[in-house]
Amino acid sequence: MDDATALHQASNRDDTIKTPNLLTRLLQVRELALILLIIVIGAALHLITGRFFTTPNLNAISLGFATSAIIVFGMTAALVSGGFDLSVGSVFAMGGVAAAVALRADLPIPLAMLCGVGSGILAGLINGLLITKVQINPFITTLGMLGIARGVSLAITEGSPLAQLPTDFLIYGQGKILGIPNLILIALITILIGDILMRRSSAFRQIYYVGGNEEAARLSGINVDRVKLGVYVLSAMLAALAGVLSVSRFTVADPGAGSGEELRIIAACIIGGCSLRGGKGTVIGGLLGLIFVGFINNGMILLRVPVYWQQLAMGVVLLLAVGFDTFSQRWQGRSRGKKTV
Amino acid sequence: MNRRDFLKKSSFVAAAGVLASQGIILGRAQDNQTYTMVSFLSGIDYWKDAFRGMQDAAAFLGVEATYTGTPDYDLTAEVRVLEETIAQQPAGILLTVMQADGLQPTIDSAIDVGIPLVTFDADSPMSKRYAFLGTGNYYAGKIAARYIGPLVQAGKAAVITVPSQNNLGQRTAGFIDTLAAEFPDVVSGDQFIVDNQNTSEGAATGLSALLQAEPDIKGVFSTNASAAVGSAQALREAGLSDQVHHIGFDYDEGTLDLIDRGELGATLAQGTWQMGFWGMLNLYMVANSKILSVSDWKAAGISPLPPNVDTGVVVINKDNSKYWRAAQ
Repeated sequence: MDDATALHQASNRDDTIKTPNLLTRLLQVRELALILLIIVIGAALHLITGRFFTTPNLNAISLGFATSAIIVFGMTAALVSGGFDLSVGSVFAMGGVAAAVALRADLPIPLAMLCGVGSGILAGLINGLLITKVQINPFITTLGMLGIARGVSLAITEGSPLAQLPTDFLIYGQGKILGIPNLILIALITILIGDILMRRSSAFRQIYYVGGNEEAARLSGINVDRVKLGVYVLSAMLAALAGVLSVSRFTVADPGAGSGEELRIIAACIIGGCSLRGGKGTVIGGLLGLIFVGFINNGMILLRVPVYWQQLAMGVVLLLAVGFDTFSQRWQGRSRGKKTV
Repeated sequence: MNRRDFLKKSSFVAAAGVLASQGIILGRAQDNQTYTMVSFLSGIDYWKDAFRGMQDAAAFLGVEATYTGTPDYDLTAEVRVLEETIAQQPAGILLTVMQADGLQPTIDSAIDVGIPLVTFDADSPMSKRYAFLGTGNYYAGKIAARYIGPLVQAGKAAVITVPSQNNLGQRTAGFIDTLAAEFPDVVSGDQFIVDNQNTSEGAATGLSALLQAEPDIKGVFSTNASAAVGSAQALREAGLSDQVHHIGFDYDEGTLDLIDRGELGATLAQGTWQMGFWGMLNLYMVANSKILSVSDWKAAGISPLPPNVDTGVVVINKDNSKYWRAAQ
């Protein structure tokens, strides 16, 4: 909605100068292409299956990506800063396991959840310090943490999931407010806060400068190391929080939870417009990427695509989506170019 | 009686019965006979029960059982550990196989130097191993179908699984084939399979979608423990826990809790303790020349043991779940 009003104002301003090509203007909002794609896919699925836009189905889709949406904020920050975080899936499991251990030791629920999130902050600190102070490449650092966090979860649990958690704890992952699952509300709030911070807060804007041109950012007085450290702490903290909430949803802390999550999240962020080269991307874009993937996955089941073909179809659709985006970017660039001539 | 004692006592009675009826007299405790279990992913919980079974049999026989393996899912590492174990010349090796072809030469080399070797849980069928003890996965799927079929009577049944995993594929095939053959009113098939990508999240999201596409789903078979946890959550979120019959596979604290809360009808437990216990007995019998099936099985070039043993699955439900709770 924000985009729409901003766009409206923008086009009003332009009216005085020149009649704008509405389509061109619209397409300049980066996420719009993806929003349109999502609407088209949703409408098509609804027309074909007759049961896509139903409350239970949309509920199921959103619950499916709710915990991922929480992680998307941190991953977007990491990608924008020019790095990425491969450890989120493992930290997700570790956060859940840490919280479950604390709960089973009869710690008060908020404190136990804090233990879970705290384990993520610690992992993020280690990632951040290794990347900034020891200057190990983010790929290697977070790959190492992927192993370490998974290993910690396995070692603590000795491989068996932890259950028998207090029922009061389950409210976060299973409760509802006004009919909307808490998990979806928490995810939306996180995304909203994340998007506003990344757009408006000067501290978070520094991430774009660092990712866009690290040297220039340093010369202009930005403490690059502090920004990067913050990014990895944020990413791991949110991954651990998502893990804690997932335990509350499933009533079990599984040391194997979240395996492969890092790639799903990175894929969603890239679909949503993040660049692997850094400096580009929005949190809302990442959410749209998740919605897109969620729609496709749901659609394949509704359309009865045989399970053996689903991964292949998903891979093709991901490439098409990113290709479509790249193409529309280039087209925008060209139309912008024409205007200035 | 806790689970450990229950299983131990019942199996001892069975073992003693078998031994007595065959006229085999248990020898004196064997000094310095050591038998070794070798695994991959050695840290996971799943092997613990198998080794417990091996230890129980070793205690009964008066020999020693040791455990080793590689913590990784790494063929080279398991081959190396197996070679190191062979070099120590144990009285017998109980091995679970990460990759059938990759381990075959090393398995054969153990047999060639005269160390009896039996595989458990996962096999290398073309190797010279004397026996394999494990779950017949196709038959386990059959058991799941025979649980779901009568409860559903008429309707559709979904399978939540990881299609790329061979053992889970066999469970799925056993389930679908048996429903088609024995319960024709319960419809299942490839179009009702959901890929849970080995996570609870994947199972919950996938089954939720399938329940939208097929409101007539009345039965669910989750072929692994994480799928069971996720599917149970999907049914709970859809308010269908009471209406859809659900059976899982394997057990852990999470699945046992679900059973006790009535959100999972039952789960199928593999006989991992049995694999360790009977595997140990098999090795002992060969190592101590108790196999008299023919005058000289070595010269005859035959296996001294039953080559394929299905250790089966048993149904855990609300009535008996307490026996699987780990001994406190």
